[in-house]
Amino acid sequence: MRDTFVKTLLKEAKKDPNIILMTGDLGFGVLDEFQKELPAQFINSGVNEQTMMGLAGGYASTGKRVFVYSIGNFPTLRCLEQIRNDVCLMNNSVVVVSVGAGYAYGSQGYTHHALEDIAVLRALPNMDVIVPADPHETVGITRLLTSTKNPSYLRLGKSNEPAIHEKEIEIEPGKINELSSGKDGTIIFSGSVGVVALEAAKELASEAIRVSVASMPFVSRVDVEYLKSAANKGPIIVVEEHCYRGGVGSAILETLSMNGITAQVALVASAQTNLSQIGDQEFLRNENGINTKSIITKFKALLVS
Amino acid sequence: MEKIQGPFSNAAELALAARHEIIKMTSVAKASHVASALSVVDILSTLYAESANISPSKLDDPNRDIVILSKGHSASALYSVLALQGFFPIEWLADYCKNDAPLGGHVTFKGVPGVELSTGSLGHGLPYGLGIAMSRKKSRLSGRVFVVLSDGECDEGTIWESAMIANHHGLDNLVVIVDRNKIQSLTFTEDTLKLEPFADKWRAFGWETEEVPGHDYQALQKSLATQSAPKCIIADTTKGKGVDFMENSVLWHYKSPSTDDVTKAFEQLSGNY
Repeated sequence: MRDTFVKTLLKEAKKDPNIILMTGDLGFGVLDEFQKELPAQFINSGVNEQTMMGLAGGYASTGKRVFVYSIGNFPTLRCLEQIRNDVCLMNNSVVVVSVGAGYAYGSQGYTHHALEDIAVLRALPNMDVIVPADPHETVGITRLLTSTKNPSYLRLGKSNEPAIHEKEIEIEPGKINELSSGKDGTIIFSGSVGVVALEAAKELASEAIRVSVASMPFVSRVDVEYLKSAANKGPIIVVEEHCYRGGVGSAILETLSMNGITAQVALVASAQTNLSQIGDQEFLRNENGINTKSIITKFKALLVS
Repeated sequence: MEKIQGPFSNAAELALAARHEIIKMTSVAKASHVASALSVVDILSTLYAESANISPSKLDDPNRDIVILSKGHSASALYSVLALQGFFPIEWLADYCKNDAPLGGHVTFKGVPGVELSTGSLGHGLPYGLGIAMSRKKSRLSGRVFVVLSDGECDEGTIWESAMIANHHGLDNLVVIVDRNKIQSLTFTEDTLKLEPFADKWRAFGWETEEVPGHDYQALQKSLATQSAPKCIIADTTKGKGVDFMENSVLWHYKSPSTDDVTKAFEQLSGNY
């Protein structure tokens, strides 16, 4: 996903000199081509995320669109107040880009796991939180972000995420992208964890339970119409690679509540049972309850009730 | 005696008028930080009356100089100076900190012409100014960026990160002016977290550094006039400058002047404002 992002950004940045890519000294082998081709639009500020984010705010205030790239918690939690004051309050044209969503840096340990970022950044005013599901969504969303100006947070996976859409799709801000349609309920997910949702849907189908599966990249602009029809149809399971507190599931529950929509909802997110546990992404997802079993169990429980 | 009206092209006259406004507005609003404002007001007056290429008619000029008051708690000083220089109506000062008023206790950009950045959390102004300076240098725009820091603010790591970055990128369009009044929130800076040898630190980070008497307009102006690298001007100031009972006192970081204090203070401010 990160390669797709950088490739797409480079393409757009060649056409628009106001697009700037800034990194906090990360992206070895990933940002090289951008740096080589557009040195005037590339800044490595060093290992200093707080200053980098303030710098990005000031830089953007001169009429630039600044993409600030780093791993998971570094361009988000480490410099939260700079994002809050120097980007969101000033409404500066900065896109915070994190790579390594959820457990993508699995064996690197908890410092590298991004599990609270959606909750925290979603709480900021003016901030558009966007979580693409696969490389196809990443292309469209990156393009969209080069043509808009509002403060945004782009939460990317890492590398080699499978494509879950067959081809590039038309990205419409705030719209949920349905992958398959079923009459018995809905599984909504954000991010590369979609593969788990699809697998669960397949298993349910083998028991003649047909569910829709849908990607929700625009976490801070929830698709109310989609939720309304999903709520009418049956149970909704929300799957995310994030902690339960304040994430995508919370965003959906808030939206349902604020719009007076009654629905049967269950969340599948990280239980964070052992913060220090080591393992690869698939292992840690599974250990923390982000797996097909949780989805199926929770779906069936709602179906019965 | 007739009251002198702005805008001023003389820093001393602007500072005298601003001192009156600062004391009035912090008293009426029962606001804190009057001594911080009196400490920095000569620096701001020198910038806005003489050294910085900025005026109300130039706010959309991409080549204008930028002034960022990073010590946002000295809002009353910046607001007084901006009002006196005609950036917004002077009547706004009377509503300082009132409900739904344009001007609040920390510097806010929204709806206040002349303010480039909302500040109040320390250590934000310099990275932000750095970003503007870096972008301008790459775009070959001419204006300079002046960032006014408090000395206590230099406890923040972002100051020193910024100092490294500015030097690395050769930002000779960036100026830091430190209001070195030697007092921070709870006590003296040297008793809180030693800054000295302060000038040596900036020099070691590659900055052209000068120590200047911070209430001496000519000295400030001279130091502000030239630079060939990122420049740090350490302005030796007195907290509460101009009102003897407010000078060098930690108490006046927080205390708001009573009506009696205002009368006594005005007696001490010479000149016909």
